[in-house]
Amino acid sequence: MNKTWIVARREYLYNLRRPAFLFAVFGVPLFTFVMWVIIFAVTASNEENLDSFAQVGYVDEAGVLDNLALPEVSSDVTPPELVAFESEETARAALDSRKISVYFLVQPDYLSNGQLSTYSYAGIPEALHDYIESLMLANVSRQAPPGTPLERIANPVNMTVHVADSGRDLTEANIPALILMPLVFAMIFMMASGVTSGFLMNGVVEEKTNRIMEILVTSISPMQMLLGKVIGLGLLGLTQILVWGAAIVILLNVGQTLPLLQGIAVPVDLMVIFVIYFIFSYFLLSGLMAGIGAVVGSEQESRQWSSIVSLLWVLPFFFIINFLTDPNGTVPVVLTLIPFTAPTTALLRLGFTAVPVWQIILSLAILLLTTALTVWASARVFRWALLRYGKRISIRELLSVIRKSPEAEISLVQSAQEGAR
Amino acid sequence: MQPEKAIRVEHISKTYGDFRAVNDLSFEVYRGEIFAMLGPNGSGKTTTMRMILDILKPDSGKIEVLGGTLTDTLKDRIGYLPEERGLYRNVRVLEMMEYLATLKGLSSGEARKRSQAMLERLDLAEHAKKKVSELSKGMQQKIQFAVTVLHEPELIIIDEPFSGLDPINTLALKDLVLEFRNKGHTVVMSTHQMWQVEEMADRLLMIHQGEQQLYGPVEDIRKQYALHAIIVEGQGNWAALPGVERIETVENGRKGTLLYLQPQTTTDEVLAAIATTRDMSIERFELAVPSLHDIFIRVVEEHEK
Repeated sequence: MNKTWIVARREYLYNLRRPAFLFAVFGVPLFTFVMWVIIFAVTASNEENLDSFAQVGYVDEAGVLDNLALPEVSSDVTPPELVAFESEETARAALDSRKISVYFLVQPDYLSNGQLSTYSYAGIPEALHDYIESLMLANVSRQAPPGTPLERIANPVNMTVHVADSGRDLTEANIPALILMPLVFAMIFMMASGVTSGFLMNGVVEEKTNRIMEILVTSISPMQMLLGKVIGLGLLGLTQILVWGAAIVILLNVGQTLPLLQGIAVPVDLMVIFVIYFIFSYFLLSGLMAGIGAVVGSEQESRQWSSIVSLLWVLPFFFIINFLTDPNGTVPVVLTLIPFTAPTTALLRLGFTAVPVWQIILSLAILLLTTALTVWASARVFRWALLRYGKRISIRELLSVIRKSPEAEISLVQSAQEGAR
Repeated sequence: MQPEKAIRVEHISKTYGDFRAVNDLSFEVYRGEIFAMLGPNGSGKTTTMRMILDILKPDSGKIEVLGGTLTDTLKDRIGYLPEERGLYRNVRVLEMMEYLATLKGLSSGEARKRSQAMLERLDLAEHAKKKVSELSKGMQQKIQFAVTVLHEPELIIIDEPFSGLDPINTLALKDLVLEFRNKGHTVVMSTHQMWQVEEMADRLLMIHQGEQQLYGPVEDIRKQYALHAIIVEGQGNWAALPGVERIETVENGRKGTLLYLQPQTTTDEVLAAIATTRDMSIERFELAVPSLHDIFIRVVEEHEK
């Protein structure tokens, strides 16, 4: 077996079993899922509970509730008792003296603008909101021309916004998908590439500090080692993405009953672009991390560097408002072209708007070029710095190494005296 | 007939900044021998080994290993024990040995089989499933040595193989090294422990400040440095013996008196003289062959004068 593959296989299998990886892969989605379930359960129980709203007052200034018609409710809901008040003052007095827990005011021009206000000491649950809506619907519908479908009266506009050029329609149903999916993609991307390139760097630092490097470089070439690590950990990142992807598909299928998740589908074009960006920028990130790992002297130092690097990837999230309000504005466009912020930025923008094709192509081209340059430079630094212990390496030294020929020797000098041993 | 060469080093030099680590060094290592590299700290032993292994490149000179320049495939035929020991700490012993052996070109099945056999051999079989960090320092050293030779390399290069080992483990590893030599493998080792060289090595290279001081078969070198002298223990006025030039008290090791003989005097004559002289009794009489230790110190001292 080719030695590159031996290294790739080892890196993959070794890191796959690491608790940190298992937590990242299974723990994070599980944790998210459990949190959702808890949040849904808690809010749902509050939203459905009408017990504390046994008596609901109302003041009808528009005269639509004169011959009160009660709406039909499902059998598991106890409808509240409705109490009419002559004026807002009396209703207010009843609320203040806690005789009723809520009242609503139907304003005189209700029929023309649908204005209705509720007053209570606490917020009102969704179920009460729904009840008042169906109550109004039941009473207003009697005044509509015969034959008007209730559905149309209840929901007069179901708006579809067509975005020019993108071919993607923002219907009310798929807006959550379009906002949620890029966010989810961006998060998955950051987690997967962050975790694996972090492993890559730690591995190099460990082999350096353990002094096993000298055995390794007399067994395989530094290039084989670097390539093996990048491939093995890249596959690990893809594994992570696959697991999460499967989790999302399951969640969406199971969760179709939840209103929030209805109609969410994973847009295929976004997926393809996601994978392309992931591969490019994974190589960029891992090239960078391998270089840093070879140069820094300790795990502590490497952690500082990795947090600085990952900050670059998170940067677009600080501008999330810009993306929502003006996804084709200056800030998002600039962030799309900067290679480090390109993947997350592009994914976010693609979700929200139609990104001009030239920007995507230019962004990918710059990313590819930067990746190639980084990996090339990193490979040289990697070979040179592998056996260099203890001594701080200056930027000038690094630049001179990068300019040197790839055949330049590995450096392993701490001091002249020690090197001579 | 010239013996087959495992390593040929021709006029290599290496400097670090202003420091000349290796200066115009040439030597050959024959196939199937144990070749010792001696020298004080900082004399250039490790640098030379690293140049042979292509970790460092010489500034000038030429190195041939196993008949050519060192390539990645040739690396599979070499085992190297670096002076700075290091292993993966959080990995199980057997797993790590397997991985490092596959990097030397063994299949994983073969690597596992040999690792297990080697662990048996070194009395470490029960620790196979333990993590490396759970082992004692001596055990880790043995594992490290095992990793060096698992792929049965033609050329074994070991830097200070016995440093930090207790006598029992030293013996175990020494046996292993001799066994490999007897099977025809070539061993290059550096060491400070002269008695190891005396016992094990066929030929040696002594370097000091990057330059060759002594080079050749161990026996020849010892003869070359042999003194025309004898060591005696007993009673009597040694200086008055005929043919004795001067005497010296032996301070190191076993007490005795060193008798330097005049060039034409033979040891037999001295022995005869002692036997026939009154008031002289003798408990020990031996030829003063210097140990490598003495030669080492002499060479270094002469060089520094």
